[in-house]
Amino acid sequence: MNIIYVLIPIAMLFVIIAIGVFFWAVKSEQFDDLDRQSVSFLFDEDEVQVIEESTDKKLPPLD
Amino acid sequence: MKHCDCFHCGEPVLTGSQFTTCINNNHEPMCCPGCQAVSQTIIDAGLSHYYKYRTQTGSKKTALIPDELSTFSAFDLPEVQQDFVYNDNETSSVSLSIDGITCAACAWLIEHKLKHVSGIISIHVNTTTERAQVCWLSNKINLSEILKHINEIGYRAAPYQVDEQEKQSKENSRKYLLRLGLAGFATMQVMMFALALYADFFTDLDVEYRDYFRWVSMIFAAPVIFYSAQPFYFSAIRSIFSGRLNMDVSVSIALLGAYIASCMATVNGTGEVYFESVSMFTFFLLLGRYLEQNARQKASVSSSNLHKLVPITAQLVTSTGNEEVPAKRLNLGDIIIVKPGEVVAADGVIIEGKSSINEAMITGEQIPVIKSLHQQVYAGTINVEHPITVEISAIGQDLLVSGIIRLQETASNNKPQISLYLDDISNYFTCSILTIAILTYIVWRIYWPEDAFWVTLAVLVATCPCALALATPTAVTCATGIFTRIGVIARKPGIFEKLIKIDHVVFDKTGTLTCGTLTIDDITLFSDINQEEALSIAAALESASLHPIANAFEPYQNSAFIANNQHSLVGQGLTGLINGVQYQIGSAEFIGVNNLQTQAVYLAKEAKLLAQFTLVDTIREDAIDTINTLKQNGCEISIASGDSSLHVDEIAKKVKISNVHKGLKPEDKLKLIQTLQTQYSIAMFGDGINDAPVLAGANLSVAMGSGSAMTQNSADLILLGDKLSRFNDAVYVAKLTDKIIKQNLYWALGYNLFIIPLAVTGHVLPYIAALGMSASSLIVVANSLRLLRVRL
Repeated sequence: MNIIYVLIPIAMLFVIIAIGVFFWAVKSEQFDDLDRQSVSFLFDEDEVQVIEESTDKKLPPLD
Repeated sequence: MKHCDCFHCGEPVLTGSQFTTCINNNHEPMCCPGCQAVSQTIIDAGLSHYYKYRTQTGSKKTALIPDELSTFSAFDLPEVQQDFVYNDNETSSVSLSIDGITCAACAWLIEHKLKHVSGIISIHVNTTTERAQVCWLSNKINLSEILKHINEIGYRAAPYQVDEQEKQSKENSRKYLLRLGLAGFATMQVMMFALALYADFFTDLDVEYRDYFRWVSMIFAAPVIFYSAQPFYFSAIRSIFSGRLNMDVSVSIALLGAYIASCMATVNGTGEVYFESVSMFTFFLLLGRYLEQNARQKASVSSSNLHKLVPITAQLVTSTGNEEVPAKRLNLGDIIIVKPGEVVAADGVIIEGKSSINEAMITGEQIPVIKSLHQQVYAGTINVEHPITVEISAIGQDLLVSGIIRLQETASNNKPQISLYLDDISNYFTCSILTIAILTYIVWRIYWPEDAFWVTLAVLVATCPCALALATPTAVTCATGIFTRIGVIARKPGIFEKLIKIDHVVFDKTGTLTCGTLTIDDITLFSDINQEEALSIAAALESASLHPIANAFEPYQNSAFIANNQHSLVGQGLTGLINGVQYQIGSAEFIGVNNLQTQAVYLAKEAKLLAQFTLVDTIREDAIDTINTLKQNGCEISIASGDSSLHVDEIAKKVKISNVHKGLKPEDKLKLIQTLQTQYSIAMFGDGINDAPVLAGANLSVAMGSGSAMTQNSADLILLGDKLSRFNDAVYVAKLTDKIIKQNLYWALGYNLFIIPLAVTGHVLPYIAALGMSASSLIVVANSLRLLRVRL
């Protein structure tokens, strides 16, 4: 049973790390736009190709 | 004709295959030149992935805005920018509200379109708030150009007025999330150890281990009590200072009392600990508050977004020529030129020219009023036809608009208060619990002093107002969630209690019962011309006009008919050449026919009458149903309109409203409401600035989402999407919410009445007290969640 004197403090350390990560995530605005983060990876896939295409095209004249 | 939908906005294509865009080698149909231009821009910028990944169709770009209107040059004036642009050396940043964002693909599209424009440092679009944070080099690109780039791909961007509520609540929301997260993590740990400690009741746990678990629990519960629960303490202190006890007072006493007592028990190795109860209670309460805060945050974000900051500028006539200046720099006696489509910047008198002016902003009526020499024009009204020169006669506080704002402020200060029964309940409950606890302590102190503290604590914990404290917020949170889902923004607290009391509903006419725009109702043909051709000719002629009547013809524009040499005669009509033939369109008088019907437009070809178009301001689709339902619910219904014509009676007859009050000025409307308020609880619907004072004065005010910003400012509810029937849904939800809140309160009170005598006499075992408390909170939360099952 004495092992709990070691294991519980280690568990506490993990909890503190988890809370730290959570605070960091909130403060870096990762919870501000939940609608978008869930699908943003879809767009990342072809990112490089898109940038190449769009930079060499001049913006069309305004209507 | 094969029926198909616009590839860009999803609306049916009525124009055949006039407009197409080549997307991924397919010719996709478009409904209008606006959508066509937008989709072409998207494809040309290499952003066709937008169409691949979007989950919602784009928003319809209503029209190709004439050049002079689509320039956002007013946004570049330094005096205008100082209100919303943040400057740091060479970089400027601004937060823009963007209309038309429907899904994550829109955010991606806007970001990628703008990221590569030279001069823009960063752009971040948030789809939840429908806003973009843009940072740019002020010497490389102007704000107006940025707005223009966004406009090109079909979104309307503008700086916005940040709602007062929002300023406060943004930081709060994030803090609540931190507190809630921390409480969640800590509660999980404390509960885990509590389980081990519960074992102690049934089997013997070594005192050594028991104390160890207690110490660990104490450490985990500390941040919950000292950080997460802070909002309750502050609220309790505030309420004590204001002389009224709210629920947070007993919450705070119970939390701190239980925690301190548990700490003492831990240190001394005696008594009982309640760490798991306090942590869990804090977590549940915070969860309710967080959701409530989030719903409120969402509502204030949407209402801020509706308040677009459109800078009003004027063409000031100076000795060196015309100069564009912001409205606030104008002085009395200055001469300004107001072009068609522009907003009059200050009250003044016309000294040159004649035009019709759209005074909808003041009177609520869309049909322009003809103004000629020496007549008064008002700030905020829109010039429709010809350029006019105006000498300014009033600025600042003397403007007609400022007068209306003052009336609105007075009205909202004198608004009758509906007493909110929930505040009273919490006040009484807290008082009686505290009295009972104090009496218990005194009595036990006298007879059995050694147990006094523990029994008193048991009273506080057992009666701990968890269930009572959760009863209202959980139900209100769920209901607010439903409101957001059905497009009703609740801007102020206490809406649910007010909604169920309403027994008299007053409607404004234009823009509320009706759509506020004219449409063609009936066409009579007088010679051998088919209907489609007549409409196309009329549309071509009207294409140059900004008159509301011209808008009615807009959907019928056809590229086969192009008009040129259009001339307009103020308040009468237009002439123009189509394929070399002279056509006229306008009033009966203009064309030279005798007719009594006011809302009709005639089309003639070289003085030969071709067609008559009857125009109506259509009644909203759901107006009649809404009014019938309201009547069934026992509500009285009235119309209060600024319009004095027969048209009001016509509309009233169609929607079956018998109480009609017409020709009312803003102050008359307010008086009417105040008279009615002696008998009824009034809900007022409005959309124009002329309704702002009366909205501020009504018991409950409802503004249309398309209404003016000032109206929405004084409204309790905003109906997005302008669906009147949503009000009935809102009343239904409010009634359900009220029922759930009452059930919760009965349950909480019943539980407390049962447990108090037991606790006072010292018969409640600590673990029973904790269990009962948690169970009663869970029952209340579960009961409130039933609200979310409502389908509307």
